[in-house]
Amino acid sequence: MSLGGADTAAATPAAGRGGSNPLRTEWRIGALFLAPALLLYVTIIIYPLIYSSWLSLFEWDGISPTRRFVGLDNYATLWSQNRVFWIALKNSALWTAVALVVPTSIGLGLALLLNRSFAGRGFYRGLFYFPAILSLSLCGLIWTWIYHPTLGFLNQFLGWVGLESLHRAWLSEPSIALFAVMVAAGWHNTGLPMLLYLAGLQTIPREVLEAAEVDGATAFQRFRHVTWPMLKDTTFVVLAITFINSLKVYDVVYVMTFGGPANQTQVLGTWMYFLTYNFNRIGLGTAIAVVLFGLTLIFAIPYTRKLGQES
Amino acid sequence: MSLVVAGRDSGSAVLPHAGRAAIPRIAFYVGLSLFALVWIAPVFILVFTALKSASDFAHGGTFALPERIEWANFAKAWDVGIRTYFANSALMTLVKVPAGVLIAAMAAFALTFLRLPGSRALFTFFIVGLVVPIQMTLVPLTLLLRNLDLIDSLFGLFWLYLGFGLPFAIMVMRGYMRSIPRELVEAALIDGCSWFGVFRRIVLPLSTPAVVSLLIFDGIATWNEFILAQIFLRQNSNRTLPLGLVNFQTEFSTAYELLAAAQCITIVPLVVVYLFFQRYFVDGLSGSIKS
Repeated sequence: MSLGGADTAAATPAAGRGGSNPLRTEWRIGALFLAPALLLYVTIIIYPLIYSSWLSLFEWDGISPTRRFVGLDNYATLWSQNRVFWIALKNSALWTAVALVVPTSIGLGLALLLNRSFAGRGFYRGLFYFPAILSLSLCGLIWTWIYHPTLGFLNQFLGWVGLESLHRAWLSEPSIALFAVMVAAGWHNTGLPMLLYLAGLQTIPREVLEAAEVDGATAFQRFRHVTWPMLKDTTFVVLAITFINSLKVYDVVYVMTFGGPANQTQVLGTWMYFLTYNFNRIGLGTAIAVVLFGLTLIFAIPYTRKLGQES
Repeated sequence: MSLVVAGRDSGSAVLPHAGRAAIPRIAFYVGLSLFALVWIAPVFILVFTALKSASDFAHGGTFALPERIEWANFAKAWDVGIRTYFANSALMTLVKVPAGVLIAAMAAFALTFLRLPGSRALFTFFIVGLVVPIQMTLVPLTLLLRNLDLIDSLFGLFWLYLGFGLPFAIMVMRGYMRSIPRELVEAALIDGCSWFGVFRRIVLPLSTPAVVSLLIFDGIATWNEFILAQIFLRQNSNRTLPLGLVNFQTEFSTAYELLAAAQCITIVPLVVVYLFFQRYFVDGLSGSIKS
């Protein structure tokens, strides 16, 4: 704060005391403004990021004072001996593939519908976005109740319409549990693509669409040849965010199935947690985190580059 | 009637169709409303469950109307634990969110208006935080908090929340500040205003829309945060709402009406914020992706 007086004089561009002086002052002031953010950011995100990678080269239980350097052994163990790792990897891949297509398409469809102007548009927008403001863990709890084998809405509804044959224990049958969780996650994950596409649609000039309409283009042709190409940037952002979020998914699986039955719904995010915090296998846990991060980079690199360039 | 509505909504030159638009219009509303009903059904089911008495569950299924509305479920859920979780979440959100936005605004200000070497690279460096999976940070953060004796402490968690909120907040703030004319800043400097004064009296007030958007987004994110709370909070008295709800689920696993009531209580502040600030959602986000 004591700097305040001194800066005022020096920072005045007209002061012209050699020209380098104000720049140096700006540098110092900039450092002051940036210091809190930079300090927190490096301590909370960057340093752990590097330290985790380093820890993945050790065998350690997280408690004992010594840890044994094992090189890439943890990765080899995951690769060849950890059966659940492969289940988690497969599930994460499946999860990501579904997430890239289903909630995003519904989000786009809703955005197209809700971009038209009609009475009550704001109400419908608010309603469809609503699940996105709930936490994923809460969405998981709400859907767990819907899936309840006897008291849950889903089975009762099936019984009511005479489809008792479709009754399932939705969250405890290995073949369907993961999909049941995906539905809950998709309910939450549709809002953001919808919002991003609504924002993207607002950047398309009305005249272009009207011109196409006058030229006799059908609604589908207008979408195919005008709207969709002009949403390219938005689509990229939607896919990048979806991809990154899908790989690290944790809470909704943890809440709904706890990775079960028999580890059949483990994903990379949950298996990393269980290995680290339940089995004290720090090396294996951090190795999974590194694999997860490596996969994230497929989209993360072009995404950060784009964000950096846009500025 | 239909002419007026159709005319207003198509807003284009294709009025010849307007007379026939009534039927598609109705079909549109019916289709959309049906889908909306399905979409929001889980929330209805939740509220419905929260209003039933325990004995209602014994007879009568999900579809049966509650015999009488059981408001006492909310009071009971509140008393057996939600009050503590709610207070913790509220305290965390009210302290963390403004602090985080201020720190991010300061950083964004420096990155936008001060002539610093490498400020572009520094911005990209901050953006990297958006793509780092949280799993990559958990173990080192556990060790860090353990060394500082801050495990199982809301104060310790506060710092983590602060750090994780920064990348997005800096991106949004910087995106917005770039729309503020430089000349305003330079004029103020010539008039003898200090850089701190420029930040506090000119740039921050002009950034109000971005600040409000961020307060809402970050507020919701903080209110909802689960994984860090789950790893770093242990005692019941320290738990935040998302964590407390999961705990509730195991503790009262068959008291469905209590669980539902607790979940409803969690949602109420979100609904209030959402109803009041809905328009900031689209505006705030479009500011962050389109520069």
